Amino acid sequence: MKKAKKFLYSQKAAPIVFCLPFMLSLLIFWLYPLVTGIVMSFQDVTFSGWEFIGLKNYRKLLIDKTFHTAVLNSVEYMLLTLVLMIPIPLLLAVLMESRLTKAKGVWKVILYIPALTSVVISGMLFRLMFSEGSGGQMNQILQFFGHSSIAWLKEKVTAWTALLLLCMWRWTGVNMLYFLSGLKSIDNSIYESADIDGANGRQKLWYLTLPMLKPTTIYVLTISVYAGLSMFLESFMLWNGNSSPKNIGLTIVGYLYKRGIENNDMGYACAVGVVLLVITLIINFAQLFATGTLSFKRKED
Amino acid sequence: MKAVKTISRREFLRGSAASAATLALAGLMSGTALAEEETEEDVAITTVGPDDGTHFELWTFMEAHSTFYAEMVELWNEENPDRQIQITFSTYPYSDMHNKLMMSLQAGSGAPDIVDIEIGQFPNYSGSDSPLYPLTDALADYEADMVQSRLDVYSLADGTRVGVPTHVGAAVMYWNAEIFEQYGLDYSNITTWDEYEQLGLDLKEASGGSVYLTTVDTGGTDWIWLAMAEYGEDWTGGIDGTPEVQLESVQAMLEMQQRWIDEGIAIVSTDGIIDVEAGYSNVMNGVLASFPKAMWYMSRFTSYMPEMEGKYDITPCPVFEEGQPRSVGLGGTGTAVTTQSEDPALAAEWLAWAKCSEVGEEYIWNVLGFDVCNASLWDDDDFAFDESNVYNTFFRVQPYSVLREIKDEIKTVYTTQNSVTLNDYFNTYTANEVLEDGMDVADALQELQDYLDVELM
Amino acid sequence: MAKSVNATGQRTMEGNHKVGTVLATGVFVILCAFVAFPLLCGLLASFHEGRTIISNGMSLNLDFSTASLDNYIYLFSGNADSQKYFMWYKNSMVLTVETVVLTLLVCYFIAYGLTMYNSRVGNFLFFMVIATMCVPFEILMLPLYQEVQNLGIINTNAGVILPGLCGASTIFFFRQYMTSLPKELLDAARVDGCTEYGISVKIMMPITKPAFASMAILCAMNSWNGMLWPMLVYRDTSKFTLQIGLNTLLTPYGNNYDMLIAGSMFGIIPILIVYLIFNRFLIEGMTAGAVKG
Repeated sequence: MKKAKKFLYSQKAAPIVFCLPFMLSLLIFWLYPLVTGIVMSFQDVTFSGWEFIGLKNYRKLLIDKTFHTAVLNSVEYMLLTLVLMIPIPLLLAVLMESRLTKAKGVWKVILYIPALTSVVISGMLFRLMFSEGSGGQMNQILQFFGHSSIAWLKEKVTAWTALLLLCMWRWTGVNMLYFLSGLKSIDNSIYESADIDGANGRQKLWYLTLPMLKPTTIYVLTISVYAGLSMFLESFMLWNGNSSPKNIGLTIVGYLYKRGIENNDMGYACAVGVVLLVITLIINFAQLFATGTLSFKRKED
Repeated sequence: MKAVKTISRREFLRGSAASAATLALAGLMSGTALAEEETEEDVAITTVGPDDGTHFELWTFMEAHSTFYAEMVELWNEENPDRQIQITFSTYPYSDMHNKLMMSLQAGSGAPDIVDIEIGQFPNYSGSDSPLYPLTDALADYEADMVQSRLDVYSLADGTRVGVPTHVGAAVMYWNAEIFEQYGLDYSNITTWDEYEQLGLDLKEASGGSVYLTTVDTGGTDWIWLAMAEYGEDWTGGIDGTPEVQLESVQAMLEMQQRWIDEGIAIVSTDGIIDVEAGYSNVMNGVLASFPKAMWYMSRFTSYMPEMEGKYDITPCPVFEEGQPRSVGLGGTGTAVTTQSEDPALAAEWLAWAKCSEVGEEYIWNVLGFDVCNASLWDDDDFAFDESNVYNTFFRVQPYSVLREIKDEIKTVYTTQNSVTLNDYFNTYTANEVLEDGMDVADALQELQDYLDVELM
Repeated sequence: MAKSVNATGQRTMEGNHKVGTVLATGVFVILCAFVAFPLLCGLLASFHEGRTIISNGMSLNLDFSTASLDNYIYLFSGNADSQKYFMWYKNSMVLTVETVVLTLLVCYFIAYGLTMYNSRVGNFLFFMVIATMCVPFEILMLPLYQEVQNLGIINTNAGVILPGLCGASTIFFFRQYMTSLPKELLDAARVDGCTEYGISVKIMMPITKPAFASMAILCAMNSWNGMLWPMLVYRDTSKFTLQIGLNTLLTPYGNNYDMLIAGSMFGIIPILIVYLIFNRFLIEGMTAGAVKG
């Protein structure tokens, strides 16, 4: 008894005790559902139990056009957010750091506020702003320019404008802050030596700032890939539910939710989840290799 | 982690105090709100009935339904002192409730005793291994008086009743009589869709295009159901049938609606259907002059469009060819008892009594404003034409007189296990393609059929 | 001659600088307007009748003649709807406080165990922390839902909190913070006869206070705004959080639109206040991962 107590208090046992909750959580709430999910994707889950059906769910995914729409939408959304949500916040951060900008604290505080609002609230606000009624702000703006009202959320281009604006509204400030903290970690002396060499502003940005921001950019890129691919609630709130005209707002997770929760087809939904996992991993590894974070020749470096 | 600054004690205290103040403020406010609970009469109904009564859980997605059930619990307890019941009500949003119900029935625990299941969701529970308690015995006393097709839609394949209907939901035509009077047009003898279309053209000319004849739906299938009923067709193929959407009725209705849009006599319903806020707003603002909808839409008038009192008229729907039936049962809720209930027999007996007896039907008609399923009451003038019933005075006609006229013409389109998939694709794609993009109807239906063939194989 | 050129040059540069400042300020003013626009519109809309706004869209009209405090009066009236709203509000508060306290404590000790001992197990576990970050939660959602149901913690706060208790990003942040702290402190304490657990509480915890502050706000924000997972776990209206509750007000069967917009606006306030007080800790907490990659 005493020995056990002594062991428990030893330096060897302590880390195990400290990490015990994590190990349990890892097994119960990560590994177990992950494995169950993969196993379930080979099953047909019904009222009376489940049945092993091999690759049938996956074969169905191959010909399921709605699923293809969902995948294309998610990938497209992810790519568009990358295009919009990396360069713009980066430039804003550079501008913010420059001596030109005054009252930095105020801007930072305000720009971050949208991230505090929940998807429920921000989605609702955007839904009402892009309402197809003639009283919605966007339609009022159109009317101001002599255009008639349009049903924003019914056509892909206009609906995605709303969706992307919602994304930009919420996350521009946050991504800018990421880049700002990246900028802060750059040693000022390299700019000083560049000044001595007579580099102009643009050269400094291109040859110094951008390369130095690489770790931050990779980080933002990674989380954007995840967030983009697993986007669901934004679309759920914007269309007030999981159905949108011609499924223009359906995403992979939306389809997973639809199949698993709304249509109660757990096996098929899990197959959708596994595909999402595979896509995420492929994109991330590709990205990590492309940016040189991971490399096949790591040992030689 | 040099970047992280240290936090001074004073700052920390200041922040903590402010957060505590915020929490206290919110707590205080919720406190005041809760303190008034005892004095306020109109608290949300949660539990009704004595504590020593048999306890049931009831889930619904319509707040008004729980008010009705609560009333029926009180009445039941007065009449049955030796068989007291107590019911706890929970009202959830539509999709939440059905999702939760499915999950809890699958898990084998956590389901309510009694539950309102929307007709579109019902087939999920009436398959071969149905988790619903048979209500055939409880309904036996009322069976003969009820509209059979309404009972059939909530039955198992072998005919066992598992759900009690709330209303018939007969489709009728709603007309803004005031608008037609204003432009000197007569809608009262319209019998075919061709005449209806001509009326629309006249209305367009008379009003200078400021009023549309109707709005057509991209978020619902009511118009299509009406067409199918008129032609005697059913795109689900019946209870155990295979969906077949390339039907004369569906094609005719969609082509007709597409033409109306081209002619400028109809527009697509704002937000897809007329049974949403934007729809009520269109009705109230006189954007449209008429629309077919179920009888239960009357309650939307009294609840959300009280300004329309005395302006609207109700008639049977137009048909494609004279002699076709003029109505179809639209929407509905089947109330069921789950097998997880501890005293399902009592729950079933109460339920059947609450929704089928004369007492119950009176409430359903007078308060909820539905066309009741107990057809023996339709011919009872005291029941049907009671002047204290708001619906009898709100419209330019007494609703049950229209109902009596179409009594034998209310047809059924089935809701089957394939309906969710079918309706979902129709609403997200087909209706939008045809009505918004002007796609060829035959092509759109072919696409829908191809989708179903793959999906349901 | 040379002198004057120099002076002009300087003046031009100063001029450029001023123009630049004006331009930069302009950019940020426009940006802030973009940020504020939806919120201001929402705020304006909350003074108008909810039904009109749902059917017709949020209007830009600054029409104060029809504006009224009715929605807010209704919200605080103490009637059935108002009670429901504040019940959700209270649920959200309770859940947020529980989540923050539990998550922070658990993650702190885990990070401590991972960082302060050079064990192979620790390294492996840290690798697993990173691995869990690589699997989007949505993939685990459905099996996790079934599991939580089987464990009997569905419809409880435990069901919402436990699966996310050992949040990888929180552990990661604490670890990053602790690696920068001197380990000599530990040895000194050990010499003084302090136990391993005593050290973690009495010595390390006070030093990590700023990390706690950062993570507390971030965690509170996520919990207050959480939606997807709580929406699956909670079943009773009486247990809903504010976000789920607000979402239910949007259904066509509820018709509580007056409360929806006013309630949404009021729902931002707690997190906004916490943010305005602690904003720099929040920013540091959020961006911690970005610098080190």
